[in-house]
Amino acid sequence: MRKSRSGGNEETPRQNGSSGRRRAEVDGEDADSSLAGLLDEDDENDQGLRREIRSKYRDLISSVQQNREDLLSPSNNKLTEVLEEANKLFKDVRQAREAALDAQLLVVATDLGKEKASQLFSDGNAFDPTAFAEHLLSFMGLNRLEDDRQNEATSDGYLPKDAWHRLAKSTECCFRTAPTFHYMMGSFHAEPPPPKQRVERQRRVPNKEAQRIMPTQLKKMEESHQEATEKEVERILGYLKSYHQDDPSTPISYYEFVVDPNSFSRTVENIFHFSFLIRDGLARMYLDDDKLPCIAPVEEGEVEPAGASTRKQCIISMSPKMWKEIVDNFEIKETMIPPPETQNE
Amino acid sequence: MAQRKRLSQHNNTQTASQLKRRSSSSLTQDEDEEATFTQPSTSQVQRGLEKLSQAQVDQKTAEVVQYFLMKDQKKVPVRRAELVKYMVKDYRTIYPEIIKRAARTFEQVFGLKLVEIDPKQHMYILVNNLETPARAGPVECPTNPKTGLLFVVLSVIFMKGGIVKENLIWHTLKKLRVDPGQKHEEFGDVKKVVTDEFVRQKYLEYLRIPHTEPVEYEIRWGPRADLEVSKAKILEFIGQLHEQDPRSWTQQYREAHGTQTPGQASRSSSQR
Repeated sequence: MRKSRSGGNEETPRQNGSSGRRRAEVDGEDADSSLAGLLDEDDENDQGLRREIRSKYRDLISSVQQNREDLLSPSNNKLTEVLEEANKLFKDVRQAREAALDAQLLVVATDLGKEKASQLFSDGNAFDPTAFAEHLLSFMGLNRLEDDRQNEATSDGYLPKDAWHRLAKSTECCFRTAPTFHYMMGSFHAEPPPPKQRVERQRRVPNKEAQRIMPTQLKKMEESHQEATEKEVERILGYLKSYHQDDPSTPISYYEFVVDPNSFSRTVENIFHFSFLIRDGLARMYLDDDKLPCIAPVEEGEVEPAGASTRKQCIISMSPKMWKEIVDNFEIKETMIPPPETQNE
Repeated sequence: MAQRKRLSQHNNTQTASQLKRRSSSSLTQDEDEEATFTQPSTSQVQRGLEKLSQAQVDQKTAEVVQYFLMKDQKKVPVRRAELVKYMVKDYRTIYPEIIKRAARTFEQVFGLKLVEIDPKQHMYILVNNLETPARAGPVECPTNPKTGLLFVVLSVIFMKGGIVKENLIWHTLKKLRVDPGQKHEEFGDVKKVVTDEFVRQKYLEYLRIPHTEPVEYEIRWGPRADLEVSKAKILEFIGQLHEQDPRSWTQQYREAHGTQTPGQASRSSSQR
């Protein structure tokens, strides 16, 4: 601490921020006698000077704070320059406010000074955290990219997922941490999941096999069905035509045609197949004088265009009882449509 | 309950008022507890022991031991206040005896050391009493990646003289792909881990630098680190990493292998 400074500090409690027209006790210990002249100056000038000094102090303080890194660098003496500047300013200090600013500047400067001193800690072989980080990255298994483009501070590459685990494992020896306990039984979560998976898998397997079987079967059936239907329909058409040709004048009774006295199911099939003929316009049905349905094939020329105005639908239902009655009433002895040779049922 | 009446009036009234203030934070309650709990004298302890059976004291000791082990999972130190409040309770007159027995149990049964790291606030931690084996032990313990992070922070601080500005730590960590501004996939909020978790666990101290605008902080080793971490081993590891002889960092070497206790060494070298 400089002598003049201590003089100023003693002085500040007594002054209450009033003008600088105080005794020469202010500069009692100060070697600079030219200050005596200031005491006689004008109030206004003095105020201006006070402001100027304060503003210079504030500038100094802010510059120290802003350029902290700069001042810390061991390559320059900027901190010393700041202190010298402050020394010069202090010579003009009269009031408490300026002295307080000076004290603040001193605190900031000494902080920096302490930091600079601690920089001297590393002698010779300094420790560079950046290099340390680089070495650590290599240790943790960083996979550097092929091309060393810039070799800058940023090293590209992938850090493996267990990088930090690897480091933790290797540095465990440096720690004397008390091992923490954990239950050897583990958690309850381990139990439920495996059985679930097993069950699911078992279920899935039969499904697959079943699916595999199904398509082939279906294909066969579908084919057989379609073919059978078409074949049947054509066959029935053939019979109808031949019956009609034999006796064009006599109308063919619908019931006589379709009913098979030996089999109810065959009857239903015949009805089913005959309905296709009606739908496709290859046969027609009409009521005769006795109001009984009769059928006849449609001649080539008579085929009406599809979607014609005559679009009639009717539903025929037959129960085994009805079938029996028809067989008795019509005295149907034998079927007009012989059953097909290939039995697919 | 009969015992409680025989305790000093002081303790009695305080406990009652504390029960009323249950809503206040646990910290202030602990502090109140601290204020009221005076370490019983040896004679008080003797008298207390006479009134209780051996089995009771052993039971209480066992409970305290278990409490410590549970708390140690998170590595947060245990305060005397919370011990007294939750565990010791009516047995507070023989508190020193319980602690003594618990410490003995730790040492003889678990190979751990019960250390009081803060004589003012009376905080305890558990430290491994055994030297870590050179080779990995037969039991595979899952490693905590945070240990790696802690190692980096501690070693940088140590090599830089025992105290560093937080910016240096963030700068170094960024080089390691750990950015305090971003969420890290392993560590999450890195800043919180370093400045909060490690500080609570007493591995680090996060102190404000006075007279800085905007506020800056510095980080130094905490009391748990002083007890648990071996500077010599850190230096050795770093030597291997840099492929240099640890002795080349003379000052750090001296500190690591010095006769001073590590805590004293770091404090004196930073010359605050």
